[in-house]
Amino acid sequence: MDRRAFLGTATAGAAALALPAVLRAQSKDPVKIGFPLPLTGPFAALANDMQRGATLAMEQVNAKGGVLGRKLDVLFRDDQLKPAVGAQRTKELIENEKVQFVVGGLAAHVQMAINEQTKAAQVLYISVSQSDEISAKPDTSPLTFHEALNPTITGRAVGTWGVQNLGKKWWIVYADYAWGKQINAVFTDIVKKHAGTILGATPYPLGNPEFSAHLPRIQAAKPEVLLAVTPGADGVAFTKQAISFGMKKEMKILAPLHFLFYAKEGGADLFSDIYGGTSFYWEVQDTVPQAKRLVEAWTKRFGVPPDAYGLYGYSGIMEVARGVELARSTDSTAVASALRANPVYDHYKGKQWWRPCDNKSFQDMWIVKGVPQSKVRGEWGYYDVVSRIPANEELDRTCAEKGHA
Amino acid sequence: MIGRLLAWLAAHPVLGFLGFFAVFPFLVPYKALATQVLIFGLFALGFNLLYGYTGLLSFGHAAYYGLGAYGTGIALAKLKVGSLWVGLAAGLALAVAGGVVIGFLCLRRRGIYFAMLTLAFAQLLYFIGFHLAEWTGGDDGLRGIPQLPLTLPGVAIRLNTPLAFYYFAFALVALAVAGLKRILDSPFGAVLQAIRENSDRAVACGYDITRVKLLSFVFSALFTGLAGALDALRLTVVPIESLYWTTSGQVVIMTLLGGAGTFFGPFVGAATFLVLEDRLSLFIESWPLVIGAIFMVFVLFLPRGIWGTLQGGLHGRPRA
Repeated sequence: MDRRAFLGTATAGAAALALPAVLRAQSKDPVKIGFPLPLTGPFAALANDMQRGATLAMEQVNAKGGVLGRKLDVLFRDDQLKPAVGAQRTKELIENEKVQFVVGGLAAHVQMAINEQTKAAQVLYISVSQSDEISAKPDTSPLTFHEALNPTITGRAVGTWGVQNLGKKWWIVYADYAWGKQINAVFTDIVKKHAGTILGATPYPLGNPEFSAHLPRIQAAKPEVLLAVTPGADGVAFTKQAISFGMKKEMKILAPLHFLFYAKEGGADLFSDIYGGTSFYWEVQDTVPQAKRLVEAWTKRFGVPPDAYGLYGYSGIMEVARGVELARSTDSTAVASALRANPVYDHYKGKQWWRPCDNKSFQDMWIVKGVPQSKVRGEWGYYDVVSRIPANEELDRTCAEKGHA
Repeated sequence: MIGRLLAWLAAHPVLGFLGFFAVFPFLVPYKALATQVLIFGLFALGFNLLYGYTGLLSFGHAAYYGLGAYGTGIALAKLKVGSLWVGLAAGLALAVAGGVVIGFLCLRRRGIYFAMLTLAFAQLLYFIGFHLAEWTGGDDGLRGIPQLPLTLPGVAIRLNTPLAFYYFAFALVALAVAGLKRILDSPFGAVLQAIRENSDRAVACGYDITRVKLLSFVFSALFTGLAGALDALRLTVVPIESLYWTTSGQVVIMTLLGGAGTFFGPFVGAATFLVLEDRLSLFIESWPLVIGAIFMVFVLFLPRGIWGTLQGGLHGRPRA
């Protein structure tokens, strides 16, 4: 043993003897992840799904001995779907609870308010709902990861499939706010690119779903495909009105995203024959073995199957755990580098990966179609799986387009 | 004992404020909560000047709060002015300008019409903010507000820790509190309260109450705008909800809960509301029910609010 090694060992030994309590406390303290999400408000059903996912991930990690021998602890906070509350709760989690990582946020504006806090505190953040900006400059950072799909990927994937399979002549009804406008722009672009035509577009104020004045005009234009960008409760109102005008029989109706819990709430007949995209639907377990294991564990634990947003939450927690193990550290910068260096993961539906230049996750998605009430399988079989769209970096904007040098 | 303390506070409210809020961050669970209480207390103080002291009920105070926040936020994030002071000044200027214009127009009507006009103007600003996304970020909110250091002659202090930012906000809010005390002690302040008690009699005494009311409106917008500007610096984002009517409603609740027309009521109300929200929401999803029930109890049985009741007893006279 040379002098330097001896000094090193002696110093470490002395420190260990002098500070046993500190060291012991450090090695036994749980690894804490803050998780703001809108447990109250209009997205509560999705937030509950997400909370189930994060809880299951935590339990599974802990059942296998935790991370680095430490327990994983996920702290949920209600952000009320308000950016100021999301920001405040994130501050509280970081300052008061000393969380090492943050996962969560379920709406573009809230996740960006959360992101500002995690950026300032240099804490790794995995965002788990849709947004184009979160992985683009100037909002993003080396510590900001984006697990969910985004409007560009959703629009290009669902739009390409729609124009190739449903028809070339389109009409778009969209809610006139950030997400609706983005989705409209992406679909318009992709439909034209595949030699389709947009016959017209009808913006309407979000949360004010009165379409009866517009529907006859849309019918008269005779589109083959009607794209309904009508989030949440607006979608229920829109579909009811479209059905009463007999539009389901005259054209194919397509939605950018389908949500299992809204289908359950609105009833199968409402959404029957309507096509839509999703990052996961539980019956894809018939073709994906990983999904089968997870759906079984989930349904056993909670009594309901998982849906897309629940699995974003699940995967977000699993990725933090994987990153900590890879980095052998809870330092945010080290974990972020470890994830970028080992970008491929597979937690529930097949291969996913982080694109290192913008920390964006790429993943498979599916096209599903609502089934009528008479054909619903069991309690939750509300859709037929129509097509799988494999993960593809070309579906998103390039890193250069997103402002990454 | 409590009576003597209250009497001392009534005589020295600014000293009382300084003493209490100097140690406040160590009394609540975490510092960022203390800062939030301080800022919303200032917001309620601005509202209270107009409602509690002048007797004008505004349902649109989100307007000046939002203007202060967006003024500071846009100056720092979009115009990149690079100075904390210039950013703050921009927010205050915008809030005061809004106060002058909106006050001038709204004060032509009284009672419910006045309240509805203030609400209408605030909603107007909300929709402008919503659609001017190039400047305001629209419904995604304004992001990218830098955390600039505080520059004073000879020193630059970094505000990136929760405690440093708290004391920065504390210094500015203390100035506002001292300013409010000065206003209330002046003849102008006496006229405000005369208008609240009986505006016809104030006119008969020869006061130009339209001008006095407008000045009160503008001072109120100034304090409120400072609160908005500080909140923009604190969160480094300005959500579009800053301008929404729910923000106006929240400040009305805080002020009434704490005690309208009392010096400390707004801070007591803000602290009660925010600390309850912060702690209760950890345990129960329906925490607004609890705050709503407390609010109803006060409005129905203790209309002076928490501070007003403490001060004057159940039926006594208010002292400050």
